Amino acid sequence: MIEYGFQPKPIKRKFFTPWVIVISIIAFTGLIFLASRFIFGLGSVTNLNQFFPWGIWIGLDVAAGVALAAGGFTAAALGHIWHRDKYEIFIRPALLTALLGYTFVALSVVTDIGRWNYVWHPLVMWNGNSALFEVGICVMVYLSVLYIEFLPIVTERFIGKVNLPGFLSVLNKAIDSLLRILDRTLNKFMFVFIIAGVVLSCLHQSSLGTLMIIAGQKMHPLWQTPVLPLLFLLSAFSVGFPMVIMESLSASKSFGMKPEKDILSSLAKFVGPLLSFYLAFKIGDMVIRESFVYLTEFNAASIMFTIEVVIGVALPLRLFLSPSVRESSTGLFIASMLVIFGVLINRFNNFVIAYDPPYTETSYFPSVGEIAVTLGFVALEILLYRAFVMIFPIISQPIKGAILKTKYAIKGAR
Amino acid sequence: MGEKSRRNFLKTLGIAGAACTGIPSQKLISKTQPQLSEDRMGVLVDTTVCIGCRRCEWVCKKTHDIPAGEIESYSEESVFSKMRRPGNEGYTKVNRYDNYQNPSRPINVKVQCMHCDQPACVSACIVGAFSKKEDGSVVWDSNKCIGCRYCMVACPFQIPTFEYENALNPDIHKCDFCAERTEEGLLPACVDICPVEALTYGKRRDLIEVAEKRIKLYPDRYIDKIYGFTEVGGTSWMYLANTEFEKLDFPNLRDNPAPGVSESIQHGIFAYFVPPISLYALLGGIMWVTKKKNNNNGWNK
Amino acid sequence: MKAHLKIFIFFLILSQFLITSFAQNHSQMKFDCSLCHACETPTKSDPCLITCPCDEMMTVHIPPVRSPKIITMHKLNVNQNLYEPVLFSHRVHAEMSEMSGGCGMCHHYNPSGNVVPCSNCHQINRNRTDISKPDLKAAYHRQCIDCHMQWSDDFSCTSCHELNESGRTAFEEKEIKEERVHPEIEVPEKLIYQTPDQKKSLVTFYHSDHTNYFDFECIDCHQEESCTSCHLKNELKSEQKISMRLKHKSCSQCHYTDEKSDCTKCHIKEIAKPFNHKRRTSFELKSYHMELSCIRCHESKSVFTGLSSNCANCHSGWNLETFDHKVTGLMLDEMHADVECIDCHPGEDFSTVPSCEDCHDEKTYPDDKPGILKN
Repeated sequence: MIEYGFQPKPIKRKFFTPWVIVISIIAFTGLIFLASRFIFGLGSVTNLNQFFPWGIWIGLDVAAGVALAAGGFTAAALGHIWHRDKYEIFIRPALLTALLGYTFVALSVVTDIGRWNYVWHPLVMWNGNSALFEVGICVMVYLSVLYIEFLPIVTERFIGKVNLPGFLSVLNKAIDSLLRILDRTLNKFMFVFIIAGVVLSCLHQSSLGTLMIIAGQKMHPLWQTPVLPLLFLLSAFSVGFPMVIMESLSASKSFGMKPEKDILSSLAKFVGPLLSFYLAFKIGDMVIRESFVYLTEFNAASIMFTIEVVIGVALPLRLFLSPSVRESSTGLFIASMLVIFGVLINRFNNFVIAYDPPYTETSYFPSVGEIAVTLGFVALEILLYRAFVMIFPIISQPIKGAILKTKYAIKGAR
Repeated sequence: MGEKSRRNFLKTLGIAGAACTGIPSQKLISKTQPQLSEDRMGVLVDTTVCIGCRRCEWVCKKTHDIPAGEIESYSEESVFSKMRRPGNEGYTKVNRYDNYQNPSRPINVKVQCMHCDQPACVSACIVGAFSKKEDGSVVWDSNKCIGCRYCMVACPFQIPTFEYENALNPDIHKCDFCAERTEEGLLPACVDICPVEALTYGKRRDLIEVAEKRIKLYPDRYIDKIYGFTEVGGTSWMYLANTEFEKLDFPNLRDNPAPGVSESIQHGIFAYFVPPISLYALLGGIMWVTKKKNNNNGWNK
Repeated sequence: MKAHLKIFIFFLILSQFLITSFAQNHSQMKFDCSLCHACETPTKSDPCLITCPCDEMMTVHIPPVRSPKIITMHKLNVNQNLYEPVLFSHRVHAEMSEMSGGCGMCHHYNPSGNVVPCSNCHQINRNRTDISKPDLKAAYHRQCIDCHMQWSDDFSCTSCHELNESGRTAFEEKEIKEERVHPEIEVPEKLIYQTPDQKKSLVTFYHSDHTNYFDFECIDCHQEESCTSCHLKNELKSEQKISMRLKHKSCSQCHYTDEKSDCTKCHIKEIAKPFNHKRRTSFELKSYHMELSCIRCHESKSVFTGLSSNCANCHSGWNLETFDHKVTGLMLDEMHADVECIDCHPGEDFSTVPSCEDCHDEKTYPDDKPGILKN
């Protein structure tokens, strides 16, 4: 990275700003509802019932959470596996997003399942037929892989800087040498984990799509299709880079830095083809199954499907194909947000809108508690992200005085 | 970094995606589930015989240690004004429907778990707590359950229910075909108590014979359909009625087993771990090739 | 176990007996052999009987009066200890069934010979291998509950089954219902129908007249009736809307009820008096005539008018030798016994009582009688 004139460094800023305080309040509200869920049970906080067993905690927190953490594996694949070195500046922020994202996915699962103390059961009680089992195992393993991938950042931060307070300071030297051994070992075997991370992601991103297939006729035909896993995987591929772009732009704005427009623009070139691939499969599936007849009905399902495809896929596709949009940071931000919105709404549709069980008296709408917890988790994630980039060398900053020259010099030299 | 390499990138992505999902073209029925016993048991519910006395509801609660109340209170007919579903507080319910052919003889329909031959809940359960037993019953091991409620999502008949109000150790509830009783050679409690034997307990293949004979003998009494014979691949509990089953709130289900597509995809992705390992090798290859090309040492330098 | 064995042996003997007594004569009966036998030539060792349920059943008719009045249903009381055996009022049910399906309503399989017990085919134990037929408990209950629940909201167990000692403790019920047998059917004397038209006319139907005088059997009017035609839940009664033709159906067999006929014969303002032959025809029915059925005199079943009150109209063959004058209430004395009939009853008018002055100048009837008055 240094050769491109960038180096990841902890950002030195004040943690609390007015916006951070607002976000903290949201996070705190969520935590209150979260506490009451654990004290009084799921029924006291959620609108879930015997007909709607899954709500937004699965549909948004877990399914959309996993999808939006796709930046981690797509960036790793591009940077590490295809060795597109200029994109390496995005790998660490994307890795952190994935790490936090998956951590909160795991927390959401713990929140949503009735017996959270049995969350380890799938590790020893296997059911290979279950899509949920595969998702669970993959997420658990991938989460571990993410933590291992993150370790070098920890070692980089602390090697030669271990400075424990008080009597613990006797351990300083020992910890330092331990970190050095860890760093060396990891350096040799990291490629194993990087490839594993991408493979695991492909597996569970698609298996998340398999989840709802077993609901069969309880799921609206606009979404119920045997290629659902492929659509989930393709949408995860598509949303990876827009997430990276959105984060990079948001972080730059938040910390008052200049966005890396050139690299972002060239990264954005990948999004168009990926999105068109996804759209083609989605439309193709609809045509083959002739499910478009359901679009002529005027109901929640047809409206949500139209919003999902038109605003969430087709519109950003058009934007990403336009060079002028890719060149402007506002354009990039809007287009990326639309893709993210599209995938978010797709997961929500698949798990909540499309699910129409028999014998229902009322339809499901998330309760205040459910929404508060979901928002609270998002807020916590933002806060932790902010804290992490302030502690660890994650966001790459230009090396002073060498920016333009180095950049073009090296590019020209190739 | 030209157009060519980008095309390659997309191409490999496409291959990877296809390998990940790898959907077999033909429908596969679960290979991993044990072969269904020819002698598996079932129950034939004759809705034209049921009198709606709701004694099955009472005895079901009694058998499963749920507070049941006085049996006399079950003669109360006002409960029929609303459709009731099996729940935590009783694994079977009887609903009443108008009989347009004979208004003085309404149609009573008992509902409970259908004990599918290819149960979606068994396939779905993340910890394999559900199982289809040799005698046809679908039972579950509460000690394994983590409360994820995927069985409720999967069940085509919307049968399993969950204790939402229990914060510490919420459980899943559904009819267990009186597994404890049948092991001792007893009849399921509801079958035992039914005063008119609207529920006939027997081997599934015998029940089908009996049902077909009844339909043939009394064409005025029954419509020519055994609900549960083929629905979602067949169920252990089957129904006879004198009117269309949709009018009696039975879901109109297709004949392919509920877990079929899902399991085919699952096994397609994990066919002896070939697709994941191939993807791993492919990515490793790409990593190795591009690394050489870029003449770059180390992944994070 | 011992009890089961006993029951088994009992049925074995019973079935052997039935088979032998039945097999001797039934081949001459007018039945299609294929009704019961699956093969062409059934033998004693291999009768190749069709298993139930069959397409068609056979049953023989035994009049209700020859049937048992009350049957104690005890077969199921082996294991069930909460209830006393049900006392089934067979005769009443048999009489009622005469109005619809007859014995075959319950005894759907009953070839000639002894009545086949239900438990011959319907097994006592529900946990069984042959599930083609309902078990005995279900067979009984289906017979009873299906009708009982259609006309009564009370079809709880205790409406038929009396709790025994342990049953009362189990259900903590002290009250014992005394009457568990169907009460004797009350035949009404008269029924008054109010016509729901503006005139508010009444139709008085003398049931007793129809059964006593007019010789109607129950089934002549009560055809294909189910229990519910008498026992109908109140809410259903009002819902029943029937056409005018249907309303008059049972009357129109004998009475003219179409729109052209005179309604006022039956529809009148007040409650009609019972049928009185004298008032209707001015011919009083006394002694022997009282006992005659209508058609003995009114030979055409639908036309009752136009019969002369002249005795000779019916009694054409009577003369001094064949007619015992005593039956009129007057035993003729020796003097009058040999007088020709038409000497005292001129013009063969036997309806008016002759007076003494017709023949004698000074004699006065009834002070001096031509014989001894008998009443």
